[in-house]
Amino acid sequence: MILSSIVFLPLLFALIVAVWPKSNTIRHLALGLSVIEFLLSLALFQQFDPNSAGLQMVEKFMWIERFGIQYFMGIDGISLWLVLLTTFLTPIIILASWASISERVKGFHVALFVLQTAMLGTFLAMDAVFFYVFWELSLVPMYFMVGIWGGSRRIYATVKFFIYTMAGSVLMLVAIIYMMYLTQEATGQMSASLLDFYKLQIPFVGGTFFSLQTLLFFAFALAFAIKVPVFPLHTWLPDAHVEAPTPGSVILAGVMLKMGTYGFMRWVIPLFPEASEYWAWLFMLIGTVGIIYGALVAMVQPDVKKLVAYSSVSHMGYILLGLFAFNAYGMAGGLYQMLNHGISTGALFILIGMIYERTHSREISKYGGLAGVLPIFTIFFFIITLSSIAVPLTNGFVGEFLILLGTFKAEPVFAYFAISGVVLGAVYMLWMFKRVFFGEQGELVKDEHHPLHDLNAREIAVLVPMVIMVFWMGLFPNHFLNYSKASIDYLVNNRSNYNLTIVEPGATTVQQAQGDN
Amino acid sequence: MNINIGLSDILLISPMIALFLASLIPITAKVLRGNREQHPLVTLSQALIGIVVAIGLLIVFGGAGKTAFNNGLIFDGVTQWMGVIALAAAGSAMIMMYENPATTGRQFSELIFLAMSSAVGMLILVSAVDLLMVFIGLEMMSLALYLMIAMSHEERLSKESALKYFILGSFASAIFLYGVAFIFGSTGGTNILAFMDKAADLVQTSRLFLFGITFVILGFCFKVSIAPFHAWTPDVYQGAPTPHTAFMATAVKTVSFAAFLRVIATKSLVGSDQLFDILQWLAVITMIVGNTAAIIQNNFKRMIAYSSVAHSGYILVGVITAGVSDNGAFGASGVIFYLLSYALMTLGAFAIASMLEKSENHIVNIDDLAGFAKQRPMLALCLTVFLLSLAGIPPTLGFFGKFYLFNAAIGEGLLWLAIWGVVNSVIGVYYYLRPIVVMYMKEGNAEVAGHSLNATTVTAVVMALAIVLMGFVSGPIFTAVEKSLF
Repeated sequence: MILSSIVFLPLLFALIVAVWPKSNTIRHLALGLSVIEFLLSLALFQQFDPNSAGLQMVEKFMWIERFGIQYFMGIDGISLWLVLLTTFLTPIIILASWASISERVKGFHVALFVLQTAMLGTFLAMDAVFFYVFWELSLVPMYFMVGIWGGSRRIYATVKFFIYTMAGSVLMLVAIIYMMYLTQEATGQMSASLLDFYKLQIPFVGGTFFSLQTLLFFAFALAFAIKVPVFPLHTWLPDAHVEAPTPGSVILAGVMLKMGTYGFMRWVIPLFPEASEYWAWLFMLIGTVGIIYGALVAMVQPDVKKLVAYSSVSHMGYILLGLFAFNAYGMAGGLYQMLNHGISTGALFILIGMIYERTHSREISKYGGLAGVLPIFTIFFFIITLSSIAVPLTNGFVGEFLILLGTFKAEPVFAYFAISGVVLGAVYMLWMFKRVFFGEQGELVKDEHHPLHDLNAREIAVLVPMVIMVFWMGLFPNHFLNYSKASIDYLVNNRSNYNLTIVEPGATTVQQAQGDN
Repeated sequence: MNINIGLSDILLISPMIALFLASLIPITAKVLRGNREQHPLVTLSQALIGIVVAIGLLIVFGGAGKTAFNNGLIFDGVTQWMGVIALAAAGSAMIMMYENPATTGRQFSELIFLAMSSAVGMLILVSAVDLLMVFIGLEMMSLALYLMIAMSHEERLSKESALKYFILGSFASAIFLYGVAFIFGSTGGTNILAFMDKAADLVQTSRLFLFGITFVILGFCFKVSIAPFHAWTPDVYQGAPTPHTAFMATAVKTVSFAAFLRVIATKSLVGSDQLFDILQWLAVITMIVGNTAAIIQNNFKRMIAYSSVAHSGYILVGVITAGVSDNGAFGASGVIFYLLSYALMTLGAFAIASMLEKSENHIVNIDDLAGFAKQRPMLALCLTVFLLSLAGIPPTLGFFGKFYLFNAAIGEGLLWLAIWGVVNSVIGVYYYLRPIVVMYMKEGNAEVAGHSLNATTVTAVVMALAIVLMGFVSGPIFTAVEKSLF
């Protein structure tokens, strides 16, 4: 029951918030509820067996019997941390938006909780149609969040976001239905369960685009690639990020983009092993191009939020590179980088939101010399910048290092180019840092009528957990990776006959059944 | 030919009798009161009671696959489901008529009489298996409808729209009847059941029959607004009073598709590849035309009208699937389920539009919705649910409707139709989002007309709840539909 509670509790919270009579305590209520949700998700550790690669805490029963569609949830080392990332970020987002969301506060928190349900469901659903429901549902609250509380071009941005992502995912729906028929052919019983999908042997012919596995592979990959977003499909992201309100940007960068990379890990690579191996060069290529392109474009942005948005494109390129290296380093690095990116980019957006609340501008050229005026803010910004550019001892370093290591082992050529992204990343971040925080005081900073105030206690409370996570993940990566190791090793070693087993509660470490078909 | 009408026949058509009797009550009362309207609420409740009784009788006596009147009418699962959907939709539309400024008040009894007569025609249409019977049902339904539209209190657009509908509708009926004549000429009868088994061969061997069945199908294509025969739809839907539009877009479309399904069930498509190809292309064209034309509309009703054209395209995919599949029940239940979801969401959208109309001449543009979410959060949320469901976003009913429809199509190997379908639903998202954008993200003070709580509001809220809740139990509903078709 714990997974269902984790997924659907936020929906209940949304209802509570919606009917809460007192408008001045909605924020407190929402914060309290989201903390409860986070504590509940911590209870996962009590039951989670890190030595097993199987699917744990499974809940399944028939939902639509006619098509073999199940209500099927399970968790393993891959989804565990993404679930925790989601529940960890939500209270932080609520606290961070305390002052910036002043209109339709109730609606905002309802949307946030519905979005939380959709995201958690996406990470935990193990049935294709069930997954698809959550996947699409997540668009709706985000659409409202950007469209109602966003900036001046919010409507353009939000419609673009919705249509772009929807366009990617409808072909996935067709592919899902097609695979349901494949299970019917294979077993005589139609099923949408991911575990049954894994057992399918889909014919693959190299060298041609029109082979069944390749087509299905691309139908899925397109949906996830748009969500990630990878290089040529990324254009919705800067618009959505810049126009979204701070909490929207944090959710978008922190969790929603990971739905795409998670999709690659959970669906694309194990379902279509031959096709993903055959086309790995393509994804490593666009990953590498994304790293360099994102960094170069970020460098010239005059708007600090847009700069961070493009840096996301660059960081997500790393994750793709790591996943398609198909070795334990790359995969683990990819997964770790998903969490890092959630923490560091999320924190960057929060920091940008804080300064925006004070000056109502994000233009880098109008700042300068901020370090002297806002020392605490500067310290926090500096730590997060270091994390973002992957300085050792911070979390970013572990992720990028593992990814590059994996890439060197698999395809050194891509690693040669990708490594330039490390330098470029340092360039655009530090250059931005210099222009904003040092040098002569900019017009916004020295405005004597509106003296800038440094961070208050609430804002510090928002940032402290993020900074703790930056160092914790940077210094003790094994605290985190140990939980995912079994799942990642299994994925790497058994890609071609991936076959998740369901771990019964109470059973001690079960040896992973080797796929024998 | 000996005609004997037994009790069983009477029992089977008892829903029609009940409807007809109920339709007479208000108009008789008006005559007896010296041509003075009784209170419209009384009229409405008489009609609704008639509809509820008819639905009950249809559920009790229909459904076993029995035929009545010399195989002229059949009462099977399709009759039952489509009949219930159509009657419920007609009832909801009548509730809107009670409160819409263009239809309420003066001549309300006559209007309800006509609407009920049209509903009788619908019941004949869903149960008819003889092509002439189909024609009678079609005409009874349509003639009442022409009058209803022309009776609107609005003076210009509705008259134009009634005339347009009448002329083009008659034209389509003529095409249909022409086709029936050819079928009669080549098979010696007009009963679908009679040539059911040999139709697949007949389309290959007999040119006359192929000609006839093609014309019959084209007649239906006109009625359910399949492009390129859809040109009347936007004008008529826009010009007619909103409740009538809701009536046409849901009830009339549902029963027309029911009759369409019966003709398709002859497996003529299996025999004739050309016909099969043409229908597939018509479905694709309809989806594209409906969706792309809807994008540029500013008038809310006109947008929904084009969207209903697009939805006809989706449904046609299901009809084709049912027509070529060995297990026709699967495709047909996809169609029925889709029509159920489509009826709910379209009725809801029109209910909101109807509430926004402040006078009979008021035209609701999409931009008029600005600020609606602030003024009426509940109704705005309902409209959002309807539009998201029309767009096919899970977990609403509209998503499952599309899912079952395309699932059947893919199962039958019509993958390319399913791909066209999903691609079109992305185009659809663009214009379905527009009213939501305007409602929630633009400043304004859109306000409903009249009282704050009225019957139309209740209808809209019920529809919205049904769309959300039935999404979770769509599986059992679908299975129930499919089981009833065997």
